[in-house]
Amino acid sequence: MTKRIIVLLLAIMVVLPLMAGGSKESTQATQENPLAWMEGPSVEGLPGVNPIKVTGNIITAGSSTVFPLSERMAERFKEEGYSGTITIDSIGSGAGFERFTVAGETDIANASRAIKPAEIENAKKIGRNPIEFRVGTDALAVTVSSDNTFLKNVSMQQLGQIFSTAQLWSDVDPSWPAQPIQRFIPGTDSGTFDYFAEEVFNKQVEPLLAASNLQMSEDDNILVQGIEGSPYAIGFFGYAYYAENAEALHIVDIEGVQASAENVDNGTYPLARPLYIYSDATIMNEKPQVAAFIDFYLSYVNEEVVGVGYFPANKEAIQKGRVAWLEAMGM
Amino acid sequence: MTSLSRRSRISSLIPQTIMFLFALISIVITLGIAVILITESYLFFRDPAVNVWGFLTGKEWQPMIDKFGFLPLLNATLTTSVIAMSLGIPVGLSVAIYLGEYASDRTRAILKPVLEVLAGIPTIVYGYFALTFMTPLLRSIFGEGVVEIYNTASAGLVIGILVLPMIATMAEDAIGAVPKELRLASYALGGTKLETTFKVVIPAALSGLSATFLLALSRAIGETMVVALAAGAGPNLTANPFEAAETITGYIVRISGGDVSYNSVDYNSIFALGLVLFIITFTLNLISRKISNKFHQEYE
Repeated sequence: MTKRIIVLLLAIMVVLPLMAGGSKESTQATQENPLAWMEGPSVEGLPGVNPIKVTGNIITAGSSTVFPLSERMAERFKEEGYSGTITIDSIGSGAGFERFTVAGETDIANASRAIKPAEIENAKKIGRNPIEFRVGTDALAVTVSSDNTFLKNVSMQQLGQIFSTAQLWSDVDPSWPAQPIQRFIPGTDSGTFDYFAEEVFNKQVEPLLAASNLQMSEDDNILVQGIEGSPYAIGFFGYAYYAENAEALHIVDIEGVQASAENVDNGTYPLARPLYIYSDATIMNEKPQVAAFIDFYLSYVNEEVVGVGYFPANKEAIQKGRVAWLEAMGM
Repeated sequence: MTSLSRRSRISSLIPQTIMFLFALISIVITLGIAVILITESYLFFRDPAVNVWGFLTGKEWQPMIDKFGFLPLLNATLTTSVIAMSLGIPVGLSVAIYLGEYASDRTRAILKPVLEVLAGIPTIVYGYFALTFMTPLLRSIFGEGVVEIYNTASAGLVIGILVLPMIATMAEDAIGAVPKELRLASYALGGTKLETTFKVVIPAALSGLSATFLLALSRAIGETMVVALAAGAGPNLTANPFEAAETITGYIVRISGGDVSYNSVDYNSIFALGLVLFIITFTLNLISRKISNKFHQEYE
């Protein structure tokens, strides 16, 4: 028996250091010159980026609305030579901030709404100071199936009824069919959800959540599929998901205004909203790959944003981000 | 065992110890899961807005606005599981009877690997199978207006297919364990093959079969990927299997996938739901074990 215990202890002594050894390897090898990637012509005041010389991984998480844009920028970053890994989790703005400000797991938070004061407080507790970079503008798209023949335009008030108390379409407008409304909306941690509640229900989430026939998902493709499935379904999400599925979906005008580049630009589309990414000066200095990626993002986002299905932010807003980048890097 | 340790050779002791350690790890993990589920559920039930009775009997589930009745989720879980069982049990049992009593060695050699392939398909594939094949099929039979795009019937049927290989394999083992003498006795009394199978073999294998069905049921209740993809993403208390309704596992997936922030009551709610699932499947497995133990005693 004693022999057995001795052997057991020996085995533990052998196994434990092995387990501990594995985790040590993750510490990053620091480069000799962390800013070696700054090469080539500068763009609007930001230093040029040579992605080939950028090393190390980048972790981002947040808004499913910003996700396609960040994904496109990451793809282009890789195409131009970046050899590391960029993780982009599409989990909703709130969850993205949670990971960035509380858990401190991510380098960049993607968001389809501005950071809240409480979230900044949380970030300060773990020594982070979120810096905001505006990357584009979204026109929140209220969509129905292309089989839907009756809904072309809604007022903000009707929108409120459709997504809360109304059971049947005819409850909102007697000329619409007496069919139950099937609702497909982003989950509660989504910036899109928050934004919609803010604009349509004056920041109240109860009416939106208490509605019947309600399907919620952080995965906008699940919403798209649900809306496509029935002429009596309706939902909303970032414009890019509409643009991607434009044959199967029909976008509804709000107060007679169409979601177009022009109407988003001149501010007449009622559901236009800014898109952001957030990072922190310490992270950008300690992980130069993060600074390089944001530099790259802000330099070229306007070339990609329309292709993804969003609208460029106005010049001043993007420039503000560029200045913030330079300040964060002490340049 | 005793003769082995009496020899007490180091060479046999080392592998034995290592294996003992691994066995220990699996026990520690199970205990760890139970402890985490219980402590985090405690956080949930400690919240002033929650009470256990309301949780068990409430008809509305929307934690964001303080509605904590888990019946809609339980209802959807039971709907999908019952549909799964009503497909899986008859088909699985028929396959098992055919394989065990009727099939020639050649057909067995083809059928068995096919079943094993079915068992090896990742559940995410089954999920998309439900969404892109089963749902359109149901909609073309019952009409687009009747069957919603996300519905529990489609998910349930596909879970039925998913547990089919498990039921078939285990049921065949149970049938195979029935002593040959019983069959011969039946033939000697003039029973036909069909009579022997249904009046002698199946009743004799019943305890093993019930254990199989209970295990399959607990597998169906715990199935996640299929329901997350095909059953719906919103709690809905309904008896209509063609409507979208979120199951317990579906809700856990949606919330843990980033729907709410850590340390909120909604986040803690998934642990309470996890505990409920754990208790349900644990009980089912326990009963199934009890039944099959009894069955082993009868024939050994």
